[in-house]
Amino acid sequence: MKKIIVENLKYKYPLTESLALDNLSFEVEQGEFIGIIGANASGKSTLCQSIVGLVPHFYKGAYGGTVIVDGLKVMDHAVSDIALKVGIVFQNPFNQVTGSKLTVLEEIAFGLENIGVPQTEMLERIETVLELLNIAPYRERHPFDLSGGQMQRMAIASIIAMKPNIIVLDEPTSQLDPEGAEEVFQAIHRLSEQGITVIMVEHKMEKIAHYCNRVMLLQKGKMIDFDTPEKIFSRDDLETYGVTAPVYTRVCKALDLKIPGTDYYPVTLEQASRVLGGKIK
Amino acid sequence: MKSISLYTDRKSVLHSLDPINKLYYIAFAIFIPIILPSIEISLACVALSFTLLISGKVFTKTMPAFGVVLFTLLTVILIQGLFRPGNATILFQAGPFTMYREGLLYASILSLRVINIVSSFMILVLTTSPSDLVDSLVRKGMSPRIGYVISSVFQIIPEMMAAMETITDAQRARGMETEGNLRVRIRAFFPLLGPVVLGSLINTKERAMALEVRGFNAKSPKTYLLDQKQYRFSTVIQWGILFVIGCAIVWRLAS
Ligand SMILES: Nc1ncnc2c1ncn2[C@@H]1O[C@H](COP(=O)(O)OP(=O)(O)OP(=O)(O)O)[C@@H](O)[C@H]1O
Ligand SMILES: [Mg+2]
Repeated sequence: MKKIIVENLKYKYPLTESLALDNLSFEVEQGEFIGIIGANASGKSTLCQSIVGLVPHFYKGAYGGTVIVDGLKVMDHAVSDIALKVGIVFQNPFNQVTGSKLTVLEEIAFGLENIGVPQTEMLERIETVLELLNIAPYRERHPFDLSGGQMQRMAIASIIAMKPNIIVLDEPTSQLDPEGAEEVFQAIHRLSEQGITVIMVEHKMEKIAHYCNRVMLLQKGKMIDFDTPEKIFSRDDLETYGVTAPVYTRVCKALDLKIPGTDYYPVTLEQASRVLGGKIK
Repeated sequence: MKSISLYTDRKSVLHSLDPINKLYYIAFAIFIPIILPSIEISLACVALSFTLLISGKVFTKTMPAFGVVLFTLLTVILIQGLFRPGNATILFQAGPFTMYREGLLYASILSLRVINIVSSFMILVLTTSPSDLVDSLVRKGMSPRIGYVISSVFQIIPEMMAAMETITDAQRARGMETEGNLRVRIRAFFPLLGPVVLGSLINTKERAMALEVRGFNAKSPKTYLLDQKQYRFSTVIQWGILFVIGCAIVWRLAS
């Protein structure tokens, strides 16, 4: 089933000259884990926000084309309606703290209270996400007293608790240490296995290569490519788009070792060690 | 977590009462002395408010506020006592100044009213946590948006002050003078405004988006994580206060 259908999407922020999104068309199937990569200002965040309807409803600006998310045409529905189907986690965790709640528990409950989840179910959902994101020990902590990484986990937990069918994450691990980032990726991966569709902007290419089914490469608002990690990271012109391939890909490229039977270089540790292992023996 | 709320966490009957009761009491403190303008009633009201503050174990916390209020009132008393039109009965003379009875009485009643109103607000502010107040009001039907604004102000302002401090530190580290006499401080203050104001505008925009996607504007009826706090005697207290105000009106009209 197609969860996201984007056709000829064009968007320009108010008072700007150039298109932030330039004629994007693509489709995403249910349960896919999609990575979005590209240089700074290539339109990654804007694309994320167009999926939840903040573009155009929140910003206004010039909008063309259609975005259909889980059957809803974004242009014709309010963000609060779309929010029941799509959750988004923003880049800056600090700005996602509501500032009106006194504990992590209440903070996560904020969205659930707003959409009218019954109290007992609310408690169950909160317990689940606290465990999923490893923040159960801080449940009684004041939200502003968390570290950046803990806040980021709380922001993700707050969205996951709302049980969206689609979850959009804009650099959700920017403030996490490698171990924390891996934990978050695994948590998201588990959701994806349960059939949740995931769209994630991320600069850690090794992680993108490891977890994503497909990767979208953006430059200046245009979609350069949208394909499997192997194909995307094997491109010769990656550097021109401000992207560095995973270290495994770069090593294998230097050694000119492709995945047997294909034209592409390994992108994950497993693929690389298989290829390299074969050579060494 | 730094807080700008004046709430003082103590164990007292006053602390355990429904915040709404305290709003009723503010109305009581404002209206009774107006309905019954005699100085005895005003005195009695102030005595009642002070008793409540003492029973709430927060009387000492009121001192800074009363310091400011009393200073202002002192000037009122002087001006009214010396210069109020209609001053006739001389109380005493000090050099070229004459203090009159009428002006002094008028100023005293006025001062007692102000002290009484300030005390009633102090009862609310010192013995009620802002989140409990907002919670009570929202459950009573106040718009959750207004509730949000009230409770977030108490937390986001301290965060802004912390941001300001961070930026000051950064500027000091770059060699800017931020301490010293007033001129130096003012000069150091302006470059702060840029990042702080711009920063908070961006933060506000982003926070508005984050609230939006968490269903802040959803039309479905809201539910609550925490059970409504159970307060005792609320009905009795609220009707009691209304009853006393009613009696005061009747008395005033009858006499
Ligand atoms: N609120 C806004 N108003 C005007 N222009 C904006 C706004 N937000 C983003 N832009 C512009 O739109 C373009 C795309 O920005 P966007 O934030 O989507 O990029 P990004 O790929 O997420 O970058 P980054 O990696 O830095 O997060 C940029 O040229 C940016 O300057
Ligand atoms: Mg971005």
